[in-house]
Amino acid sequence: MQPPTAVTELPQTQAVVESGSVYSERILPLLRYLRRNPLLIGGIGLLVGLFGVVVLGYLFYEQEDLLGKKQGVDQLTRALSVKAREKPSWNPFGVHPLGTDEQGRDILAVMIVGTPLTLRIGLIAAAIGVGVGMILAFLAAYMGGWIDGVIRVAVDSLIPIPGLLILVLVATSLNPGKGLSVDQMAFVISILAWPGPARAIRSQVLVMRERGYVEMARMSGTSTIGIVFKEMMPNLSPYVLASFVASVAGAILASVGLEALGLGPLDSPTLGMTIYWNIYTSSLLKGLWWWLIPPIVIIVILFVGLFLMSAGLDEVANPRLRRRV
Amino acid sequence: MPWNYILSRVAMFFVTIFIASTIVFFLPRISGQNPLEEKLLEEAARGGFLEDTDEMVAAFDEKYGFNDPLWEQYVKFMVDIVQFDLGRSIFNWPKTVNQLLAETIMWTLALGLLTLVFAFVIGSLMGAVLEWKRQKTFLMVLLSPVLTLSAVPYYLFGLVLLLAFSFVWSIFPLFGGYSRGIAGWPDWSNWSFIGNVLWHATLPALSVVLVSLGGWAMGMRGMMVTTKGEDYMLQAEAKGLPDRVMFLRYGIRNALLPQLTGLALQLGLIVSGLVLVEVVFSYPGVGGLLVQAIPRSDHAVIQGIVFVLALGTALATLILDLIYPLVDARIKYSQG
Repeated sequence: MQPPTAVTELPQTQAVVESGSVYSERILPLLRYLRRNPLLIGGIGLLVGLFGVVVLGYLFYEQEDLLGKKQGVDQLTRALSVKAREKPSWNPFGVHPLGTDEQGRDILAVMIVGTPLTLRIGLIAAAIGVGVGMILAFLAAYMGGWIDGVIRVAVDSLIPIPGLLILVLVATSLNPGKGLSVDQMAFVISILAWPGPARAIRSQVLVMRERGYVEMARMSGTSTIGIVFKEMMPNLSPYVLASFVASVAGAILASVGLEALGLGPLDSPTLGMTIYWNIYTSSLLKGLWWWLIPPIVIIVILFVGLFLMSAGLDEVANPRLRRRV
Repeated sequence: MPWNYILSRVAMFFVTIFIASTIVFFLPRISGQNPLEEKLLEEAARGGFLEDTDEMVAAFDEKYGFNDPLWEQYVKFMVDIVQFDLGRSIFNWPKTVNQLLAETIMWTLALGLLTLVFAFVIGSLMGAVLEWKRQKTFLMVLLSPVLTLSAVPYYLFGLVLLLAFSFVWSIFPLFGGYSRGIAGWPDWSNWSFIGNVLWHATLPALSVVLVSLGGWAMGMRGMMVTTKGEDYMLQAEAKGLPDRVMFLRYGIRNALLPQLTGLALQLGLIVSGLVLVEVVFSYPGVGGLLVQAIPRSDHAVIQGIVFVLALGTALATLILDLIYPLVDARIKYSQG
């Protein structure tokens, strides 16, 4: 009995059988495979790099406040918390490497705090969306009949409705005027995050159910639950992971969109809110270009990283794609 | 075409519309806020003290049936929706939502249709040529930035373009759909006005076209790979047909079919895709209208926009489902 993991899907080499350590058995083939999948490597690299900068920023970045006290990034994102607050300014070799915004906040600090907040929205919403989608997918594929019918009609009719606009409606209805909190944003976005994964995973489950090894497990008396968790899940995991990464990108896209419309968390310095404040205060008309560039660059890095990663994971999930490249 | 296929597609269309309008009805009523009260409060704040606000709100609620039981309001709303009566805007009183939509939707549709056609034609050609002449490395060099761009949302790239071409080099205007106070507004036969509108539309259009190129190119490239492997391609080659004929008549013609599906699907999404682009460029379209309505809780307008866009998308899907089997004889309609 071999504990099922995603790695079983990856190509095994001859040497693996002989040596017994975890490193040579699991990690080495994975690394060897990764070398042939530049998309996945590139995507992971971009995201890890971004995350590294955030961690370093939390650990080491600090500025003097009005009273000359050293403050960490959390304090620096409060309005008027830094010394050079007279005018928004930009001087890459000065105290604030990315300059200050209209309210005198240090833009580097805002970016360091805002990036994980934006990621948080994406991760929570995608986790809920993929979780719910997966449960519905298994229900639909295994129960069949009217349950499958209801789920399919719900998914098919929800997918063509433009998501952003429904979210606009939800967000305006839930909290007029004050804006939602970061976690509330994530929940609102998760409302429409499940139909996509549900449809994708359902079709995979339907295909997988007819495979030989599932048949074999069924004949040897494994319960349905056992088949789902021990036989299908491990083989499904690359699809689920690819679907998850795509959902994170979708959720971040939706959150930045909502925030740019002014429906985001007004008191949290997420990347989307920074863009909103830029639009709201017409920063370009005032010449504050250095305030607009950092959030755009980071969001682009996020999207490109996630896009590369999901393309790379597609390759893991569909070996046919692997051969072609 | 079998009748039960058509019926099931049409039924699906109505289910989507029904779900959309039900969502549109119930969501704003969860919060229990009263947009009229907010409007009156705003008036009061602007023009000093306003007496009897509560009574005015009560009278209004009575007149428009907001005190009726919820199900009665729901039935009335549905009857109105069927007649395409979307109510009146509270902040642009007494304009109806239909009037407001009519004023703005042409801007959005024009921009959306133009950009869609441009992106489709250029992107598909790019993908086709790329697969046809594999040795052309310069196309590869061209494609990788285009593909990277396709991961970025329209409006973010729009902001980048705005930064570069309006702020750093002032070639294009920073905002708006036309210059305020220009001679000839809104005279569509006046060339200087039309030129002005096009000048304003260039950057929004570019941001959409450049971002969506990659998707079309990749789709076409994938289809070309399959088409090149078909037997009729081998036959065409054996017959000694010129390369150009093989490319246009045999290659593109067959590879284009799935691309047309994508085109029809995108057709339903053009308006909703443009909302944020319009916000970034302060464009006078539906997106601009939505952004004005949101902070004022102008529910009728927000509902109206969401409903019309859902209707457009569902309609495009329906038409696509009905037409596609006619276009591609290989499609079977067995599964409804």
